[in-house]
Amino acid sequence: MTDFLYPFIEGDERDGPSLLADLSRSAEAKAGESMQLRAATRTDASADLAAAVEAMAERFARGGRLFTFGNGGSATDAAGVAALFVSPPTGRVLPARSLAADEAVLTALGNDVGFDLVFARQLIAAARPGDMALALSTSGNSENLLIALAEARRRGVLAVGSAGYDGGRMAASGDLDHCIVVRSDSVHRIQETQAAVMVDLWRGVQQALDGPELGVT
Amino acid sequence: MAEPGATQTLGSLASDLASTSLAMARRFAAGATLWCWSPEHPEHAQHVAVEFVHPVIVGKRALPAVAIATPGDGGADQLRPLVASGDVVLVGGGGAAAAGVSDVLRRAPAWGATTVWMGAGGRPPAGAADHVLWLADETELAVHDGRLVLLYHLLWELTHVCFEHPGLLGADGACEEATTCITCSDEGRLAEVLAPASDGATVRTAAGIEDIDTTMVGDVHRGDLLLVHAGTAITLVEGGP
Repeated sequence: MTDFLYPFIEGDERDGPSLLADLSRSAEAKAGESMQLRAATRTDASADLAAAVEAMAERFARGGRLFTFGNGGSATDAAGVAALFVSPPTGRVLPARSLAADEAVLTALGNDVGFDLVFARQLIAAARPGDMALALSTSGNSENLLIALAEARRRGVLAVGSAGYDGGRMAASGDLDHCIVVRSDSVHRIQETQAAVMVDLWRGVQQALDGPELGVT
Repeated sequence: MAEPGATQTLGSLASDLASTSLAMARRFAAGATLWCWSPEHPEHAQHVAVEFVHPVIVGKRALPAVAIATPGDGGADQLRPLVASGDVVLVGGGGAAAAGVSDVLRRAPAWGATTVWMGAGGRPPAGAADHVLWLADETELAVHDGRLVLLYHLLWELTHVCFEHPGLLGADGACEEATTCITCSDEGRLAEVLAPASDGATVRTAAGIEDIDTTMVGDVHRGDLLLVHAGTAITLVEGGP
């Protein structure tokens, strides 16, 4: 990631302004890549996104609730998605929560039944048919997400995932109702685009719920 | 930064990110811990911390970074006992409405911390933090749609680029940029009152804990912010909580 930089002279280097200029150029280039990936993903995944919007809006209209989850930075991004649905800047307040939010539940399950089951077990306890499970992953290969999505599908819970790279095991799995793939091999650029796509998803659900077919007051 | 989807650049944010990254790399090189607090969107503070603690790129060094989860206005009381002189305090979100965020930013110089304020929407006033990384945002969606995430991803990436230039990490950025540095000179250092005493007080400054004379400013209380010169409080900056 640093091959664009000028050669430097280890501990003797003193050219701060040159480094700052390089850093600025690098930031610009990476931001540009991020925006290009957004645009490409919105094109490539538009059909998957539209289908997910329609299915989720129907579920919300019938009282379905959204459970979001991921690991690491994707866990915090999933928490952000839940926050967007449940306390949106505009529009309808919709029931959503992150399955990584409770340290007691997370550590109890991790310790007692294993980390692979930390999300699946919560869905078994809390989810009912008509609810929704949304998993964010960069690799698409996280065992605990795949197990939870399979559990969701078994229980009549809509299983939605988003993954980077080529979609990994998430895209290949038959357990997902909808999989939105962000085709990149940069974890950071994938997460940035996933966030943008999640806002598209939220906006689409809001618009569908205001429409003539699902309109609920 | 413009709305996503359009052709755009970071504009002046690119150089803000560059200087913030170099300052953070210098602090990390000197042993700093990064403290992250984002009361309205705690997930962002956690995401920033996990980037530094557990890098996604194999081979990048793990750095000490911690998210605190205090809601509302309680940040200063949680951060005060944790933050050491030389650390970095990064706060997220806020604006005029977030009294707790501005409170932490006002007090952090007395703890010896470098401050970074990151957010979107109405830009904070100049000088509100050592480093301000701010997105224009009319929609209130920049905190959700990946633009804020992009900023702190870039902050992490650029900070690690700085580590490949060890010759540039020795100087402390806080003292380079201005000809007069109020943190290091003796002309009015910020102090936070820990305990008042008769005609004096025990205070905390960037240099540590000391006893000062408060005759010139009258009664002081725990949490008051004072300007101290040569062992004497010369101005009451702000009353405590």
